[in-house]
Amino acid sequence: MRLKTFRAPRMAEAMARIRAEMGEEAIILSSTRVAGGVEITAGLEPPEAEPLPLPPVPAPPRLSFQPLPDGIARPLLLFGPHGGGKTLTLAKLATRMTLTGQAPLLVAADAARAGAVEQLAAFARVLGLGLVVAETPAALARALARRVAGQPVLIDSAGCDLLDLAAAEALVGLCRIAAADAALVLPAGLDAAEAADTARAARAIGARWMLPTRLDAARRWAGWLMAAEAAGLALDLAGTGTGAADGLTRLTPEWLAARMRLSDPRMKAAA
Amino acid sequence: MTPPVPRGRIIAIASGKGGVGKTWFAVTLAQALAEAGQRVLLVDGDLGLANVDVQLGLNPPHGLAQVLVGHMPLEDAVTQVGGFSVLAGSSGSGALLGADPAVLAGLLQAGAEARDALVLDCGAGLDAAPRRLAAAADILLVLATDEPTSLTDAYAAMKLAWRDVPGLDLRLVVNRAADARAGARTHGALASAVRNFLKRELPLAGIVRNDAKVPDAIRHQTALLTRHPASAAGQDVARIARAL
Repeated sequence: MRLKTFRAPRMAEAMARIRAEMGEEAIILSSTRVAGGVEITAGLEPPEAEPLPLPPVPAPPRLSFQPLPDGIARPLLLFGPHGGGKTLTLAKLATRMTLTGQAPLLVAADAARAGAVEQLAAFARVLGLGLVVAETPAALARALARRVAGQPVLIDSAGCDLLDLAAAEALVGLCRIAAADAALVLPAGLDAAEAADTARAARAIGARWMLPTRLDAARRWAGWLMAAEAAGLALDLAGTGTGAADGLTRLTPEWLAARMRLSDPRMKAAA
Repeated sequence: MTPPVPRGRIIAIASGKGGVGKTWFAVTLAQALAEAGQRVLLVDGDLGLANVDVQLGLNPPHGLAQVLVGHMPLEDAVTQVGGFSVLAGSSGSGALLGADPAVLAGLLQAGAEARDALVLDCGAGLDAAPRRLAAAADILLVLATDEPTSLTDAYAAMKLAWRDVPGLDLRLVVNRAADARAGARTHGALASAVRNFLKRELPLAGIVRNDAKVPDAIRHQTALLTRHPASAAGQDVARIARAL
């Protein structure tokens, strides 16, 4: 509503000015006698003034929790940005399997980075597991063909920028040759928008799971949570420590809720 | 089916424009209802600048934000003052902006349980947060003064509130009226706009006279009916409380 107050010596003059300034549609809202004449308040409702409905509330993040594939029916391929903890995560998964009596085949498709294979080889030696270094897609196919029936396969891949088209295409090719289930390994503490972009790219490449890492070291979890939600990647295990045997934690809604409450220092002080 | 828990009324205070005395009125209304023997919870929903605690000279450790994000149950976050309870606000916390309307409405209804009235300061402005709070009310009191800016903003607030809840029980409170006649004129002007443009009637909840005792009480961070129980403005608010 537009509103304006007019003062004039006589009512007729005030009315004439209202009609001239606000038009025939204006409504007299109040009139009162003042010293030296009248004061009239007029109102006008512009035709376009229909208010918009209340905007919908953004839905709370919906996280999906699905068990990570066991690598038996199809190999499990870990991929993600450089330095996100892929190799350590793979070692932790292998350790879990070894502790339950399985002997997974480890495949390093991570030949690009110096030292990457050495790190995995060290883990394989400790666990007494076989390690295949597959520097080419053909080598990967050969390695997979040699595996024992019912043996889980875990594939480590080279760290890459998922938003880089060539890197994304190489990963798609790797997934296809290996006929693998793919899981994104994403460190906590990244910027939320950056993490979400990476996760969407991972989804486009074929990932259905996300393994967040460094949950013990990062205080800000918005990045990986937003990424999992934005890309619809399922959660199951997360890196919560450097130990190969105990550094993976199963994510559940209850665990997340409890941890996120305690990360508020004021709540810690109040507890 | 379990029968609904009987609860007190949610009386929300809105104004559109800031600075017309909304927080002061909410505090004084809560006190007047409490003095009339009602069990009252005052909730500061002013997201921009929560001031209920300041007006009452409180320093509450917790407030609405902690309850909204689930850090504590409502009753743990409530502070007692005089004869009523207060759930303090959290300026700029953002918790209210993203709050699910269903959660918010549930929280207010829980606060009104085992009480006779919940007085809710909706905060200024016409954004989503005050609108959602107003939409949760059983009675919405829109506060206006005779200033043109207050009239247009109060009108806008009413228009939005009725758009969100067409059947809402909405009533006008004229604040800082020079006298009863001036207050009636302000009501008349707004009622005329509402009748002509919105095709509705605008009931008057009451007129609060301009009173120097009000800024004095606010400066002393004391509720008006405690510091100046016989003041004109205090008596006007008490009359409004009785008529609700």
